[in-house]
Amino acid sequence: MKTRRTLVAGALAAVGLLLTACGGGGSGDSGDGPVSLTFQSLSDQPAAIAATQKIVGDWNKAHPGVQVKIVQAGWDGVYDKLITQFNAGSAPDIVHYEAAGIAPFATDGFLADLTPYLSAEKRADIPKGVLDSVTVEGKVIAQPTELQSYVVFANKTQLQQAGVTIPTGASMTWDQLREIAKATTKDGKFGLGWGLSSPTAAFVALAPGFGGKYFEGTGNDAKLTAGPGEQALPQLVDAMAHQDHSILPVTLTQSGTKALAPFYAGQTAMTVQGSYQAANIAKDAPKGFDWVVLPPLAGSAGPAQAANPQTLSVNKDSAHVKEAAEFVDFFTGTENLAAINEADALIPPTTSARQALAAKLAGKNGWDAILASGEHLTSAPYLFAGKYAQWKDTVATPAYQQFLAQKIDAAGLAKQLEDGWKNVSK
Amino acid sequence: MRVLVRPAQYAALALYILFLGFPLLWLVSASVKSSGELNSLTVSLLPGEWHWDNYTEALNKQGLVRSAANSLVVALASTALSVVIAVPAAYVLARLKGKVRAAGVGWILVSQVFPVVLIILPLFLILRTLGLADNLAGLTLVHTTYMLPFALWMLQGYVAAIPVELEEAGAMDGASRLTVLRTIVFPLLAPGVVATAMFSFVSSWNEFFFALVLLQSPENYTLPITLTMFIGGEGKVALGPLAAGAVLAAIPSIVFFGILRKKLTGGLMAGAVKG
Repeated sequence: MKTRRTLVAGALAAVGLLLTACGGGGSGDSGDGPVSLTFQSLSDQPAAIAATQKIVGDWNKAHPGVQVKIVQAGWDGVYDKLITQFNAGSAPDIVHYEAAGIAPFATDGFLADLTPYLSAEKRADIPKGVLDSVTVEGKVIAQPTELQSYVVFANKTQLQQAGVTIPTGASMTWDQLREIAKATTKDGKFGLGWGLSSPTAAFVALAPGFGGKYFEGTGNDAKLTAGPGEQALPQLVDAMAHQDHSILPVTLTQSGTKALAPFYAGQTAMTVQGSYQAANIAKDAPKGFDWVVLPPLAGSAGPAQAANPQTLSVNKDSAHVKEAAEFVDFFTGTENLAAINEADALIPPTTSARQALAAKLAGKNGWDAILASGEHLTSAPYLFAGKYAQWKDTVATPAYQQFLAQKIDAAGLAKQLEDGWKNVSK
Repeated sequence: MRVLVRPAQYAALALYILFLGFPLLWLVSASVKSSGELNSLTVSLLPGEWHWDNYTEALNKQGLVRSAANSLVVALASTALSVVIAVPAAYVLARLKGKVRAAGVGWILVSQVFPVVLIILPLFLILRTLGLADNLAGLTLVHTTYMLPFALWMLQGYVAAIPVELEEAGAMDGASRLTVLRTIVFPLLAPGVVATAMFSFVSSWNEFFFALVLLQSPENYTLPITLTMFIGGEGKVALGPLAAGAVLAAIPSIVFFGILRKKLTGGLMAGAVKG
């Protein structure tokens, strides 16, 4: 789906230039009645849908003059849908998406600047790295709603049987993870399972822990460097897989979700996953399966990870930008963010909502470590690199797959990543 | 040796049917497995524990029944429109000679090479101007337009296969042009019409991109759009409910094919008698 983004964007932008004059706002109201706003929501879990409906219901009750209507849509194909809606001038007033997807719409001038509607209190509540991820050309183009981080889920019993002291504290190092993986690799079982069939997202997100940034600059002028900071994690995975033999090989070619099955079956003692998998593990793991989330992983530069939050934006062509921005501000209030993130098993992007959720769920399996990992989310330069999606699918993922299959060495990987970026961003 | 031929034929047929049917069997099996079993290393065709909740969740979660009804309306209407428009056009195309026919064929082929992303925005704006952008009637028109070239191409092959001498014989017996068409051409063309209808129905039933972009209101969503809602962000997939939804989604197609299959056979026999 993503490989067609470039074609879709190019074709629609060209036609859109000729036809934007036909556009109108997303609001369908007129006259003296209440203002009517459309909110295209992508919530997909039953609990999250219910939480969204409650928040919108609360707003509508408290604001009889500004009524919000939810338009439920799906994640699949939403980029194509949005680019058509924006170019045709029929986008909803309020748009739910993710920072990586929404940034190009901001660059193209489709999103309202929310900076004037962001109170000093809210601004202080959002960590700088997360706020940076929704700031384009100095304008806040969305408010973050939900975050995920990469965490290590561990089979407590297997670690204890291997004589491993289960790490605690604010963070653990990648070297610790490697040692635990080695210690638990025995009797035909492996220390780690990591679904890396599409490894780019994880490697790019975790690179800040080693000082890796990948991109400098924005748009088509962004420059890519695949230096030691960017190469550290792929090389560590390579060493664990092919020197230590502590990663279950098949998982390197599987999706993250597929790598859960050997974890449940005791074939792997640990697995690296998106934090949201805590909800699935709680639901799907066999009875008596004793699991724990290990502390956030830290590289040579600390436990930083790049943030790609889910977001709410306002359509610049909306007839009611102010009201829509006020709704977004309401939606991202502390209680609402805590509720929606609890439902989705994700991390609230504001400090106050994270604290509220921590207080509510203290001691509940995995939540403390997951919420702690949210403290280290930082800005993600790749969000603002113009052709990132194309580079990710056509260059980086095949290159990483070749590297992990030992078809190319580290120098070959760096050359493919850098030369590939130059080609796609010409 | 000859004794073994028939069992071998049956064995080959059974293997072929198994090969074709296995994905469907697997889908049905997945639709009654629990999430834990679907995410287990143990692979089994039959579920360890039958889990009907997936069907309840599929039916309740995203308005699946309403979407199926929408898909059925659009697919039946666009199929009927395609066939009604394509039959006379195909007859003319097959029987015409000369430059007009060549130009017609050329246009049909050219119309097939445009990527849909090139036409979707102008199409969206035109339909919006007509008040048909977020509307099942608008989607029906789009599906019909999209399916017509192939339906026409398919049908003109069937028309061309009917010997023109049969029509000439009818005319020599004193039958009018309309009588020839009604009593000779249409009965022989019936299998082609049925095959084209089947193709058109399936194309419309499965169409995703136009529906995704043109339909804005959830109450108008068609089945493919609703089924994608079982796929969430961050790679989350509700596999059990998605499988259950897919099984339910297949039922109208199977029923439609069951009805038309009989007509297809009937058409073939009718053609044989007339020929």
